[in-house]
Order: sequence, then C-alpha cells, then structure tokens
Amino acid sequence: MKMMMGSSFPEEVLEHVFSFIERDKDRNAISTVCQSWYEIERWSRRRVFVGNCYAVSPAILIKRFPDVRCLELKGKPHFADFNLVPEGWGAYVAPWIAAASSAYPWLEEIRLKRMVIPDDSLELISKSFKNFKVLVLSSCEGFSTEGLAAIAANCRNLRELDLRESEVEDLNQSSGHWLSHFPDNYTSLVSLNIACLNSEVSFTALERLVGRCPNLRTLRLNRAVPLDRLAILLHRAPQLVELGTGEASDLRPDVLSNLLGAFSRCKELKSLSGFWDVAPGYLTGVYPICPRLTSLNLSYAATIQSSDLIKLVSQCQNLQKLWVLDYIEDLGLEALAASCKDLRELRVFPSEPFGVEPNVLLTEQGLVSVSEGCPKLHSVLYFCRQMSNDALRTIARNRPNMTRFRLCIIEPRTPDYLTLESLDMGFGAIVEHCNDLRRLSLSGLLTDRVFEYIGTYGKKLEMLSVAFAGDSDLGLHHILSGCENLRKLEIRDCPFGDKALLANAAKLETMRSLWMSSCSVSFGACKLLGQKMPMLNVEVIDERGPPDSRPESCPVEKLYIYRTVSGPRLDMPGFVWTKDEDSALGLS
Amino acid sequence: MELQLGLALPSNPTSKAFDLNYYGIEANSKEVDHVIGPCYTPSYENINDIINIDNNNNNKRSFGQAFENSTRDRVVPRTLPLLLWNNNRPNEEDDPKDLENHSLFAANKNVGDGDGVVGWPPIKSWRKRLCHENQVVRAWNNNLMVENGYVCGGRRASNSMYVKVKMEGVVIARKVDLSQHHSFETLTDTLMDMFRKWSEACEKNSNNYKLIYQDREGDWLFAQDVPWRTFIRSVQRLKLLKSSG
Repeated sequence: MKMMMGSSFPEEVLEHVFSFIERDKDRNAISTVCQSWYEIERWSRRRVFVGNCYAVSPAILIKRFPDVRCLELKGKPHFADFNLVPEGWGAYVAPWIAAASSAYPWLEEIRLKRMVIPDDSLELISKSFKNFKVLVLSSCEGFSTEGLAAIAANCRNLRELDLRESEVEDLNQSSGHWLSHFPDNYTSLVSLNIACLNSEVSFTALERLVGRCPNLRTLRLNRAVPLDRLAILLHRAPQLVELGTGEASDLRPDVLSNLLGAFSRCKELKSLSGFWDVAPGYLTGVYPICPRLTSLNLSYAATIQSSDLIKLVSQCQNLQKLWVLDYIEDLGLEALAASCKDLRELRVFPSEPFGVEPNVLLTEQGLVSVSEGCPKLHSVLYFCRQMSNDALRTIARNRPNMTRFRLCIIEPRTPDYLTLESLDMGFGAIVEHCNDLRRLSLSGLLTDRVFEYIGTYGKKLEMLSVAFAGDSDLGLHHILSGCENLRKLEIRDCPFGDKALLANAAKLETMRSLWMSSCSVSFGACKLLGQKMPMLNVEVIDERGPPDSRPESCPVEKLYIYRTVSGPRLDMPGFVWTKDEDSALGLS
Repeated sequence: MELQLGLALPSNPTSKAFDLNYYGIEANSKEVDHVIGPCYTPSYENINDIINIDNNNNNKRSFGQAFENSTRDRVVPRTLPLLLWNNNRPNEEDDPKDLENHSLFAANKNVGDGDGVVGWPPIKSWRKRLCHENQVVRAWNNNLMVENGYVCGGRRASNSMYVKVKMEGVVIARKVDLSQHHSFETLTDTLMDMFRKWSEACEKNSNNYKLIYQDREGDWLFAQDVPWRTFIRSVQRLKLLKSSG
C-alpha cells in the first residue's frame, strides 16, 4: 500500500488507529470520510456481518473487503422458524463458502443463522481455512454427521463448534462416531454444543475428547447422553463454565450422589441447560451450584412442576437469565421476583400451546410480579392466555428500561380479559414508557390505534412482529412512517394492503426486510413496487401457482421484500416470483 | 431537513439505519431522475460518490461540494408518486369485511381439519414436538383416552406436528403435518401427492416406495412394521425409499 500524497498521517498510523475501532457502525462511518480512509479501512476490516445473505453477493463482499477473518451471515426470514417459509425457499450458503475458500484463506470464524449448508461446504471449510477456529450454525439445516466428521478431522485449531437448534441428519454409518474423527493430538476445544443432535454420540470418544481439552468451557450435550455418564464427564472437566445435560428420567440414588460429588468440584459452573425428561429428584443435585448460576434454561424440562421450580429458583440469587416452561406459574414467578434481583432476561414457554383451556396457573400476574421485583429486567418473552391493559401499564411503569418485549397471548385477538376492550392502551404504555425498546412482538385484540402509539413513541424500535391485528392500512402506515429506526418488520394475518405499502415505498430501502403473509397486498402492487424500486427485491411467495394466472387485484399469499445491491437472486424455487431482470413487467 | 420526492411522504433515511458495508459499488450511469431539493440530508447515494471520487489534495470536503461533483452519476431511488396519504380514516367504502372476501387470511387459516392456524402460536418446530411428546406421554401415564394420536378431552385439533420428508432422488425436502393423519394410508397418499408436484421422476404408484422413519434414538425403521401409535410417539423424520421389488 503506497503512501497517499499530501495526507497528514502515514497509512500505517491510520491503520493502527483503526484497529481500535471494532463496531460495524463506527467502521462504516470512518470509511466515508475520504477515499484514503475508505481504502485503509476496507483492507483492515476483519469482521463482517451480513444480516441478509441476499442483500449482497460474495463477489461484492470480497471486492470491498479483501481480508476478512470472521464472517457472519443470516438467511431465511425469522418466520421460517414457524413453518411460514416453504421448504426450498433459499438461503444456500454453498456459494459463499466456495467464494471464501479462495478469497479468504485466513478465515477463522463462520457464523450462520437460518441457512442451508450441505456436507460439501462443511468439508470445504475444513480443508480451506488453516486457521479455522469457530463454527456456529444456528437454526441451520442441510448437513449431516458426515460434514461434522470432516470438521472434526481437519480443523486442527477449532475452538468452537456450536450447532444451536440446527437440524442435523444422522447417517447410520457414522452415527455417533463423527466425534472420534477429532485426532488424538487435538486439544484446543473451548466450546461444544451438540444439544440438537437426535442420535447418540460415541460416549468413549466424547469422554476422551473432554479429557484432553483443558480449555473446555462450554459443553452442551444432547438428549441421548444419560445422566449417569454425566458425572464422568464432569470429573474430566471440572473447569466447565456452561453445561447442558442430557436425559435423566430414572431417579437412582447412586447416580444422584455421583452427580452431587461432580458438581461440587465444578467451581466455575455458571450456566445450566438440558434436563429433558428429568426426574424431579435429580434437582437436589443442582442445589449446591444454584447460588453461582447466572443462566438457567429449564425450557425442555416438562417434568418439573411449580413447587420444584420454586425451590430451585429461590436458591439462585445471582440468576441473570431464566428460560422456563409455564409450569413455573404465577407463584413461581413471585418467588423469582423475590429471590433473583439480578434477573435481566426471562422467557416463559407454553407447555401446552394447543390446549383450549389453561393447564397451569400462569396469568399476567406472574409477569407483573417479575417486573416489580427485578429492576434489571429488560428482555422478556412471555406466553400466556390472558392479559389486561392495567397489567401492561404497570409493567411499563415498573420497567422503563425494557429493551425487548415479546408477548404472546395464545389465542389470537384476545381482548383485555377485565374490560373486554382492545389491548391498544396497554401496548401503548409499553412503547411510551420504555424509551429504549428495540424489539416488540404484539398479540391480543389490537386496532389501528396501537400502531399510532407505536409510530409515535417507538423511535428506537428496530424489530416489530405483528399478528392478527389492526383494522386497515392506516395501521401499517403508522408503523412505516413513524418508526425511524425500524429494520425488520414481520406481519401475518393483518388487513394491511396496497395503500400503506406503496405510500411508504421509500421507507423499505431503509430497512433490512419486510415480511407480510396472509394480508391483503395485491399482486399488482407487488409488481409496481418491484418495477419502481430497483434496490429492492420484491419476492412473491405463492404455492398456488403463477400469480399472473389470477387477477392482479388478487392478494398474494406471502410477500418478502428486502433491500439489496446484488439484484434479483438466481436461486429462486418455483413458488417464488419476482421482477424479471430485463423487463420490469415480466416475471421470472 | 428532508428530501422531498414526489408526493410520497417524507421518510427519514438516516445513515444510521444503513449498513454502509454494502454500498461501496460503482454508481450506475443510468439515466435517472434528479430530484434535488434545496434541503438535503446526506444519504447513502452521495456517500457512495464520495467514496468513488478521486482523492485530490484536500482530504476534507463538505458534503455539499461532493454532492455537486457527483450529481451526474448519482442514482436516486424514485419513490412512488402513487399515493397521497390523507390522514383521514380510509373511506367507509373500504369495508374491512370486504377484505376478507378476497383476502387470504380466511383461506389460510385452515390447514386440514379443525381450527389449526399455521405457525401459531409462534413456537419452533422442535419445541412443538417436545410438547406433543410430553402430552402423549402424560396421557398414557394418566390413562386418558388417546385416540388416533390425539389426547381427547378439550384439546383443540390443531396440534400441528411437522416433520421433514425426503424422497429418494428428489433434491428438495418437504414437511408434513403428522397431526393431520391417523393412519399410514392417508399419510402415504398425502406424501405421494406432495412429491408428485415437485418430482417429474416420481412414479404415481405408491407401491413403488417404502416409508421409513427415524425414531428418537436415531434408528431408521420401516413405518409399516410398527403400530401407528408407536410411530407417532417417536417419529422425528421421514424418508421415502424406492423399493426394489
């Protein structure tokens, strides 16, 4: 790199200064100062986050940033988690891995979310990047234990292998044995999360692996590792900080006492998860470490009822994060509020989401208690069956520091159970009082008015999820015209149509993406939007067949709009329609 | 100060909202509208142009200066001068009920029988499977009536249980909702239908394919070898294999 004539500092100095600047936003800002800063910055950018893999192409990325070491990509829209995106929609990572394999030989970290990654790509990763250290696959699919075997065999410097909630195919041939592909002299593992694997892993291989990796901090086992083997692993790795257990259905006193012994040696243990089918008696084994726990995930433990949960959480004075089933009930949440003053994040999942009648005594009161008792609570995901405006107002006033608030009242369009009114005022209070709110999910009976509140007060809102709400286009208009920082908007089953969308078309370029399904947006409007906005991909997802076989006024099934600099994608399946590259009016 | 474009409402493209990473490309030379107002917020387009301008001696330049140099090349996305939004309520003629007649949210509500709504409540598939398993196990333990894989007694029929299905030779996998089926016959019929649409090579005769499933232990078993109840309790995944004879 040559020295630029007339610049105040040599490039090396600038580069050194830039090395202290890590956040994307800051690096983006410095890159716009002038040409030479742009150049220096792009050569020294090591970490890149692509929030939508179709917003940019591998070629464009590589051209701008020639020496990336950490790459993070996200693929399918969030609603794919709930089966709203048909199989085969896209988010294939293979082209990215192929491009990176030649362009970034020093790549160290790959993090993917909601993407499809085949075994071939895993093998390519394992062979292309000599210094590869971190692989995180969050809600991904398309690969099998064969691919994992390649990673194990070839990545000599691997530190982290995290398969969070991915769908992994277990091939009978290598079932459980992929772990034994880690060579005997491999000792650098720091974090292993295989909780999502359905089949057994070879316990011998696991034990040996754990035993020879002195830096292992995180170990999340899958269901198939029985509790009686856990103690053995803990003896080999007393330095563990985060542990996920396997299944634990039969209560045996010898196993319990072994466990107690093993836990007492794990002085660093701060985070627990797992507990599938756990016999409640085993919980006493956890009591000794409760005071040290900062994170507890009991959301798979459908066998633990309220009284045992109360006994457990009451001992976790340092708890910061709790994920639990609604078996905890209002009483348990009161106990939580009383004991866990450092709580920051709470997620309560439904044990019987499809039941008509409530099966547990969990109401809005539980959430109100926690909001009162836990001053640091800022992130909430709460499934329940009843809510009131009063409760929401109280929560809002108690916790103005709320940053993420996701409420799911299970029955769509449920009104305030006390007044039978809509919940507009309640959610209005949330956005009004919680000035730092970045993420919000709505539910219950809601009119256009709630969107007026959100548009007025939700100035920091970045992500909004809406379902079965609103009366008219006015609702959508309020959101799009009011929420200045909105990045992601996902809507289902709302009477929002063409008007608000077209009037706020420019807004869509300031956002990452918009999802609308089962709404009233016509195919004609989609075509128009696609024609007029070259920087947007307007994807119509419709499994009923070609949209132009129906009148243009006919609403589309699903709509996914996102900004992009790489034009329409080339890997669309048969049920996705978008504008033709050549003709604005044609369809691909 | 906002950029006024046509009749569209002023939106607020703040550079904060942009990931400037991905706009470092050459500006297009297409003919575009130059809608330039006197009050201008530096947006991503002219930042691009700053990036692409040859650096002269002066490293610092004002946005205005840069802006003037680059008007020729800038691509301004045209907002749609399609709608002038009036803040009044929409016309009474826009009866929300009308929307239901030609909207889809009525049609999409029904997935098979019952009141089932796809993807609601918003819980991930594997959590739903966990719930379903636990429900069935509890019912067995409590000797409740378990009919056709459902626990009876006040439960809604919408207990969707999606599992992945792959057909040998077909690239794209599908998902099927097992809660909609009570027998292997209806299941295989549905599966053959599903794949007929997507695979030209698929033979119409379902006798040419055998259904296998992966259970909780990870083993692959022939579906027809077990009773439906056993199958539904432990199935994780399905595959259709071509049978040789």
